[in-house]
Parts: sequence; structure tokens; C-alpha cells
Amino acid sequence: MKKPLAFFSLLISAITFSTAQEVKFEEYDLDNGMHVILHQDNGAPVVTTSVMYHVGGKDEDPSKTGFAHFFEHLLFEGTKNIERGEWFKIVSSNGGNNNANTTMDRTYYYETFPSNNLKLGLWLESERLMHPIINQIGVDTQKEVVQEEKRLRVDNSPYGRVFEQVSKNLFKNHPYRWQTIGSLDHLASATLEDFQRFNEIYYVPNNAVLVVAGDIDITETKKMIQDYFGPIPKGAPIERKTYSEEPIKETMNATFNDPNIQIPLILLAYRTPAQTERDAYVLDMISTYLSDGPSSKLYKKMVDDKKMALQVLAFNVAQEDYSTYIVGALPVGENSLANLKTEIDEEIEKIKTDLISEKDHQKLINKFENDFVNSNSSVEGIANSLARYYMLYDDVNLINNQIDIYRSITREEIKEVATKYLNTNQRLELEYLPESKNAQ
Amino acid sequence: MKKILLSTILCLSVAFSFAQIDRSKQPEPGPAPEINLQEAKKFTLNNGLTVMVVENHKLPRVSIQLNLDNPPIFEGQKAGVQSLTGSLMGKGSTNIPKDEFNEEVDFLGATLSIGAQSAYASCLSKYFPRILELMADAALNPNFTEEEFEKERDILLTAIKTEESDVSAIASRVQDVLAYGKNHPRGEYLTEETINTVRLIDVEQFYRDYFVPANAYLIVIGDVDFETTKALVTTAFTPWTKATPPSLDYSNPAQAQYTQINFVDMPNAVQSEISVQNLVDLKMKNDDYLDALLANRILGGGAQARLFLNLREDKGYTYGSYSGIGNNKWGPSTFRATASVRNAVTDSSVVEILKEVDKIIDTPVTQEELDQAKAKYVGNFVMALERPQTIANYAYNIETEGLSDDFYKTYLERINAITIEDVQQAAKKYFSANNSRVVVVGKGSDVIENLEKVEFNGKKVPVLYYDKTGDKTEKPNYDAAIPEGISAEDILNNYIEAIGGKDKLEAVQSYALTAEASMQGQTLELVMKKSENEKFLQDVRMMGNSVQKQVIDGDKGYTMQMGQRKDLTKEELDMMKEEATTFPELNYLLAGDVAIEGVETIGDKKAYKLKISDSKTAFYDVESGLKIQEVTVQEAQGQTMQATVKFEEYKEVSGIKFPFKLLQSAGPMNFEFTVKDIKVNEGVSDADFE
Repeated sequence: MKKPLAFFSLLISAITFSTAQEVKFEEYDLDNGMHVILHQDNGAPVVTTSVMYHVGGKDEDPSKTGFAHFFEHLLFEGTKNIERGEWFKIVSSNGGNNNANTTMDRTYYYETFPSNNLKLGLWLESERLMHPIINQIGVDTQKEVVQEEKRLRVDNSPYGRVFEQVSKNLFKNHPYRWQTIGSLDHLASATLEDFQRFNEIYYVPNNAVLVVAGDIDITETKKMIQDYFGPIPKGAPIERKTYSEEPIKETMNATFNDPNIQIPLILLAYRTPAQTERDAYVLDMISTYLSDGPSSKLYKKMVDDKKMALQVLAFNVAQEDYSTYIVGALPVGENSLANLKTEIDEEIEKIKTDLISEKDHQKLINKFENDFVNSNSSVEGIANSLARYYMLYDDVNLINNQIDIYRSITREEIKEVATKYLNTNQRLELEYLPESKNAQ
Repeated sequence: MKKILLSTILCLSVAFSFAQIDRSKQPEPGPAPEINLQEAKKFTLNNGLTVMVVENHKLPRVSIQLNLDNPPIFEGQKAGVQSLTGSLMGKGSTNIPKDEFNEEVDFLGATLSIGAQSAYASCLSKYFPRILELMADAALNPNFTEEEFEKERDILLTAIKTEESDVSAIASRVQDVLAYGKNHPRGEYLTEETINTVRLIDVEQFYRDYFVPANAYLIVIGDVDFETTKALVTTAFTPWTKATPPSLDYSNPAQAQYTQINFVDMPNAVQSEISVQNLVDLKMKNDDYLDALLANRILGGGAQARLFLNLREDKGYTYGSYSGIGNNKWGPSTFRATASVRNAVTDSSVVEILKEVDKIIDTPVTQEELDQAKAKYVGNFVMALERPQTIANYAYNIETEGLSDDFYKTYLERINAITIEDVQQAAKKYFSANNSRVVVVGKGSDVIENLEKVEFNGKKVPVLYYDKTGDKTEKPNYDAAIPEGISAEDILNNYIEAIGGKDKLEAVQSYALTAEASMQGQTLELVMKKSENEKFLQDVRMMGNSVQKQVIDGDKGYTMQMGQRKDLTKEELDMMKEEATTFPELNYLLAGDVAIEGVETIGDKKAYKLKISDSKTAFYDVESGLKIQEVTVQEAQGQTMQATVKFEEYKEVSGIKFPFKLLQSAGPMNFEFTVKDIKVNEGVSDADFE
């Protein structure tokens, strides 16, 4: 009995494996501790150069939040060899794109160029790390810009403060309790020395991974990397604090009023394990099961059949230390938030008591396979995945085999994980309301 | 000989590779990479559907896009019919019930959506045949039901409701209304009323009229084989009945006659949304199309363009400022220079954006700017080749925009040939600083005052006011606006708290005040005494003689003017009694009949206006809570007289704040009393009120 089964599953994996494109890569360390990952794909004349630094909102001093994100702005101000204001000009006048982004866990910078400008990309990123100029004028300018960014993305944006409200309630000790954008007051009062110190600690080669992906020649690229990044001195080892949270044992209730919305929103949020844990993958599947696509359970029931919700949502905010799992809905017309909650809970309870159907299970796997194929469709995307898997998952091979983890998740596991984490007494119930109305 | 030379070169290159690179110099680009423009393969069905196939086998996936290249549709009183048609499409077909249909698409891990004039699907290539079948079935045999219709209508109604306090949604609506007018397909918008006018039969009619193959293009991209795809598509789409959509006429929008600010007030805005816009008639096939793109690129096409460098990098007004120029083969589109800025710099941002638009029209761009813009277009063109969609887009544009077959093959050449003069010509033709509409949506109470002062090229820019639907309206009057969430009672309590608190006020049995004012060189002396049990004395004296005196003692009272005494009638007494107390606000609170009438600006302060009685109103500072003005209206011999008292310079006496300056005005007479002395719980005896 055992043998044919094994044979059968081998056959399946052989078939499914052939559907995925393998991303080939090579990795090594420079003497200064910088990790390098190369991916060659000569299909189109495009190359991405990127650096991910292991510094994010969670590395900040609680009285100086917003620093990591602020650096994402500050480090475009100029370097010893790149005058202030020239960065974007250099990139665009060579036909490239560039951008950067910050999360609570890491900061990421990248340039994508036609492949004859690989050297330029390496020069830019090595300059950023080797001699950034952090002066008062840059700090003052970027303080204003960050304030505007917050107004645009958070204060003026409908539902813009959902994450702020969820995080603040779910995390009591961990820096995940604040937002990447941080406090404008902290930034306003921060001194030039504060910023310079932050740079010295975190912007060092031993805290970074460099990725070059696209239309390259491996040998030449290695040499260029040595030329540009080799001379950068190694920094002191980074001491990281660890924070842990007490388990949530009683339902937390909160309300928040957002002046930019008309339709209230009920959110149920759970604190869940780090993104590297197998349980986090299972929760990913659960959120897809609940709310991804018109035949997902919550959408089908609440939006389609009962017409009580305008939209349902479920997502897993995967992070390095803890994740956050959020389920929610927006009511249609006079449906109360309490009713929406009851309906959501009913579906969660079902996952905890019964196994999901085999067909639904296969459907989930098909969906994840589709996402997996699409996730590696550009060199820019591949570069980002390589950096992320190295830095935050400690396993670059996930770029090719993360799908196997999803494939291996059983129906029984889905039930177990839902039972373990998705309990009423382990969550925040947040009523996110328009300004003028009280709780419904 | 040869050998020696070779080894010397080798040595040299080795030596070179060990030399330090010169970091101070920006690396030069290598030789330009080779461009390979793949061709899309095409065929046409008898019903008119054109099919384009781009094979790309890098990833095992396929995307299918159906576009109906119909002229724009004006929906008018039934605005929403197109959107509702779109929502009802793709919900199964007359052959497959909705749930089964969704279930199957989801099960295959695919996405499939059908709009009012489009369709899109993507899937792994192994599921392509089935997904293509499902797409054609749902597109050609839609399952319109009353039940789904009502559901989608409710969802749409709820969705437009969410827009009402969304500043950027309102901004984009008003920008379109003002650019194109409400009687234009691009200017009309959905309202609750128009949505409620739409019936299911309208949706069915819309589908029959417009979902037809005459202008239809089906684009298949990815891991497919042309011949197989041709066979599959032919089978799936041959049943589509040949037809052409109706063509409609609509009004042609007009350029603004002069540069003006069009302001929309949204009190919840924390930022202003600015759009400096004008109409343009730009088509891709125009000879100066690429010139116009470069001009826009230099002005506001990214983080190194003038608008960004000025408004963000230099001034820090905004997170980003950009411009965009549209093109449309059917009619006008818009040029827009936009920014979301903080309230305080709204006026300055408007001026800076106008300046930049004016400058690029008036002054040639620099060679450096032009070279940079070109490099950006070249780079984007090269890098776009990574996406198989690019090849499909190119083929589609050539077909639908009437472009020459070599439009993209000669693209880089033509970009490189553009001169500074070409850019300025395009800027002159397509951008306007003299016929510009500056649409600003923001918090009026914070920004209007300065916006009305905006000058551009030495002239004042007029501000016209619009409501959230783009209709002309009056300038918002903040004097009349009553804030939510505050009651008359709150205001009175705030005042009581501000001057010392209820406990302290209630501990006051009496107080006496003397003040002085000057009138035509003479000194006027005011004595006022108040005591518990409705005792009140006010005596105005000149050179020691009483000129006017009022006395109230419980149920009786009199006035004395120039020595003539007159007893108060019961009515007069009732009216004045409320004042005849140490702190009348304590009585107003008890009476509970005081009403809030609005917020007005008194001097440089905002104050709540409370109606105390038919003849009296009082104003309390919004910030400090203190009473800053009272207005009394009196009827005398058929004439209405208004008397105003302003209270200033509050100072503490025995723990209670009293105003030390009283400015009285009645008709043409103005007195400024300065308080000399205030005594609390002393200096008052019952005899004073006799």
C-alpha cells in the first residue's frame, strides 16, 4: 500500500516541478562581510542592482521612531562623489528606474537599468554605503517630505490608519507596536548627530546583501563588485534586542474614528508567529481560503449570498518576529458590525471543527502555484525575492522551493493551526468608524 | 613578435584590473544593448474580431486580454449603466451558473474578469484552453438577472457614498467635470440618482449595443503556440454576432477663458489637492506626439523633473508633484500638473506650479534636460522589452491609433532627433499658463484667505467656488458654520471654567467694580456692583454727577437719567433680572434656553455665538473660552439700537478672571473703559441698591 502511494506522489511532484521556472543564482561573501547574490538571465537587456539592509522600524529607539524610513529618504541626498540632488538625475539620464522602501524589518534600495549600465548601478549603491553625506540641509528637507508622505498616505487616506490601530493594540513591548513611518515629533526633534549615529551602526556591509540580477556576465560582474564594494570597511557587529509579547488571553476591544471614511469596518486581528514558521504559511492558506476570489468562503457568503458586506478581507501580515493576521468586512447599508462579526466567526469555527474539503484544498494549492509562477516574472522582482529570502528567511533556495512548503500543508494542519491561533479570546476586535457616528 | 605583443597586452590588462577604480567619476555606459522587437502574429475572424498572439515561453503562463475599442459613451441620466453592466458580466453565463463558474476559475488558480467593454484572464498555460472557453462563454452569453442587478446596484451605491469624504476622489471628479463639462463622457459622474434610474433592461440594452466585435481585439500572450491558439480562439469566438456600436455626438468642451482658481471646500482635508490643468488635442499619430511627451517629462514626468525638484526637493511642500499629458484619438484630453500639499502652502504651491508651466512655455529647456529626458525614454523603451505585454501593446497601438507600421522600430531614432525647439513648440501648443484651470480641493477655512491673494504674472488670479459636484457655489461662509459636537452648555461651562470655576464663582456673594473712560476730554466714571439675590447697580458719572443709573433689588428697580427717576415695569425687570446676578452665565445654564448660533470672527479671534435672549447675544472665544463680546438690541421709539460691549484684558482678582477693558459702542458713540479696581465680597452693602 505504501509503495504505490509514494510512487504516485513522486509522479505528481515531477509533473508540478516542471511547471515552475528555476531561478539560478550564485552567492558569496566579500571580505567586509557583505553578502552577494547573482542571478543571470540574458533574455532582455535589463539589469537590477539592489541592496537590502537589515534595518527597519523595529530596530529603532522607542523615543526615536521613524528613523529607518527616514534614511530611505536621506540616503538619496548625495554622497562624497554624487552631489546633492544629482542622484535621480543620474539614474534617469541613463535610462534607469530607482526606488526604495522600508518595512519594520528591513530597508531596500534598487536601480534597474538597460544592461549596459550595470557599472553605474554598482557605483551608485556602493557610494550610498561608502560615503553618504548626512548634513543639516538634507535632514531638514527630508523632514518636510516625510511629513507630507504621512499626510498623503496616512492622515488623508481613507482607512489609512488601520495598521496603526491594529499594531498599537496587538503589540505592547515589541517595536511592531509603532509604524514604519514613525512619529513626526520624534523626527522633528532628532538631531543631526542622532542620524549620523544611526548610519554608523546599521549602514555597514556586514548588515547588507547586494543582489545583481539580469543580463550580466558572472565573471565580469564579480570583478566590478569587488572594485566598488570591496574597499568599504567592515562595521561593528550589530547587537539586536529581542522582544517578546505575552500571549493574548482575553478579547481586546477598540474603536477608532477615521474622518476620511463613510463606511465603517470591523476588523478581527490576531498576533501570529514569525513568517519563517510553518504555521505562518498555513495561515496564508487560511486567508486565501476565506477571502481570495469570488468563490472564497467569506466572499461567497457575505458579499454574494447574504449581500451584507461590501467587501471582506483576510490577510496575513508576515514579519520577521511576529505576524499579524487580520480578517474584516465592510457592511452594506444598515448591516451592523456585530452581525458581520458573527458571520466571520461562523466560518472560522468551521475551519476549526471540520476539515476543509479535498477540492478546496487542491484549489488552494493551484492558487499558490499560480502565484508562485507569477512572482518571478521580472528581474526586479527576482532581485527583491533573492534579497528577502536571504535576509529575512535565511534560505535563498526558497525562491525555488517555497511552493513545496505550501504543497505539503495538509487539511489536518489547516484545522490545527486555525484552532491554535484563531480564537476569540486571542484577538483584537476593532471597530473602525467614520468620524461622526458612534459605535454601531 | 605577435606573441610578445599579446603577452604585453595581457600584462597590461592584469595590471589594470588591480588598479584602483576612480570612484570620483561616474562610470560610462557600455555599448548600447541590441534591441530585438518581436512581431505579434495576427488574424481576423469574419465577425470583425482581430486576434494578436505573442508567444513567450519563459514562464508557463498565459494572459488573454479582450479590448473593445469603441468611441466614448455618454451615459447621461443613466450614468452608472456602464459600470453596472461591467459588474454583472463574468458572473457565470447562461450555460454555467455563477457559483459553478467562479468555483471552476478559482479551482484552476486563474483570474478571469469581464468588464463592460473588456475582458481579462490569466492562468498557467496548462489551463489555457479551458480558461479561454470560459472567458468566451461568459463574455458572449452573459447571465443578467434581476437579483444580481439589485445586489450590484446596492454595492455601487455604497461605493459612491464612500467617495463623499475622500478628498482625492472628489478632487479627481471635480477636475474632470470642470475640464470636460458634465455633458461629456469624460466629465459625467455617477450619483445616487442616476444609479437609481438604471434598470436591468438598460444593462441588457447597453450590452447589446456596445459588446460587439466590430472594434474588438483579442490579445493572447505567453506560453502558447500560434496555430493551436488560432484554432481555439476561432472556435470560442466565432459565435459572436457581427455588429457595430452606435456612434453618439456630445458637446465639445471649451478651454478656460482665463487662468483661474476653482476651489472646492472639504473641511476634513488635511492636504490640498491641486491640479493645474488645460485641455489638449493630442493623438499618438500627431507628428509632435513624442515632442509633447518629452516636454511633459522635463516639466513633471518624474522625480528629476522641474515640478518635483522645485516643490519637493527645494521647498518641501509636498511628497511629490508631477504632470501628465493625455492623448485620445476621439477628442480632447487633458494636461495636468498636480500636487497634494499641506494646507499652509496651498497658495505658494499654486504659484510655483503656474510658474513652472509658464517657464517651460516661455524659455527653451536646456540641452542637459533634454538629453536626460531622452535617456529616460530610451531606457524605458529598452527595459519594457522584458515584458511580453510590451510587444502586444505595440501591435495594438499601431492598429488602433493609426500609427505607421514602423512606429516602434523607429522610436529610438525619432526620440533622439528631437530638438530643444521641438520641445518648446510642443510646450507652447499643449500647455497653457493663460487659460489654465487651477482646481484646488482643500480645507477652505485654512487656505482660502491666502488663495484669494494669489498673483501670477502681476495679476490677481480670480478664485471661483464650486461644490463637490463641480457646480458653482458661494464662497464658504465660516461665520455661519456651527461646529459639530459642541453645545451651548459646553460653551457656558468652558467660560465658567476659564474664569475660575463654578465653585469659586458660587462663593462670590458680591463684587464692586470701578472703571474710567474719557469722552471729549472729560472723564467718565463707571461703578458697577453686583450682589446675591438679584441686586445690581450701574452708575455712570461725569465730574462726580450721575448721568445714568440703573438699580435692581430683587423684585423692584429703577433707572435714573440726568436726575430723572423712572421705576422699571415688570417686563423690564424680568428682562434685566437675569443680568442682575453676580455671574449671569450661572443662570443661563440653569435656564437652559441659550442656543448656539455659530462661529464668528471677533477681531482676530474665532468665537462661539450664543443667543441669550431675543435681545441679547454673547460671544465666547473658541480657544480661551472667555467671553469677548455682548451685543444687545433695544427697541426705542420704533427704532432698533444695537449696543456692543467687548471684554478684553482678563486679569485675576481673588482667583477669578475679570475683564479689565470694556469697549462699549452704541451707534456712533464709543467708550473705552479701563477698570481701576475690583473688590470681591467687600465694598458692597444692601444700601447700594436702594
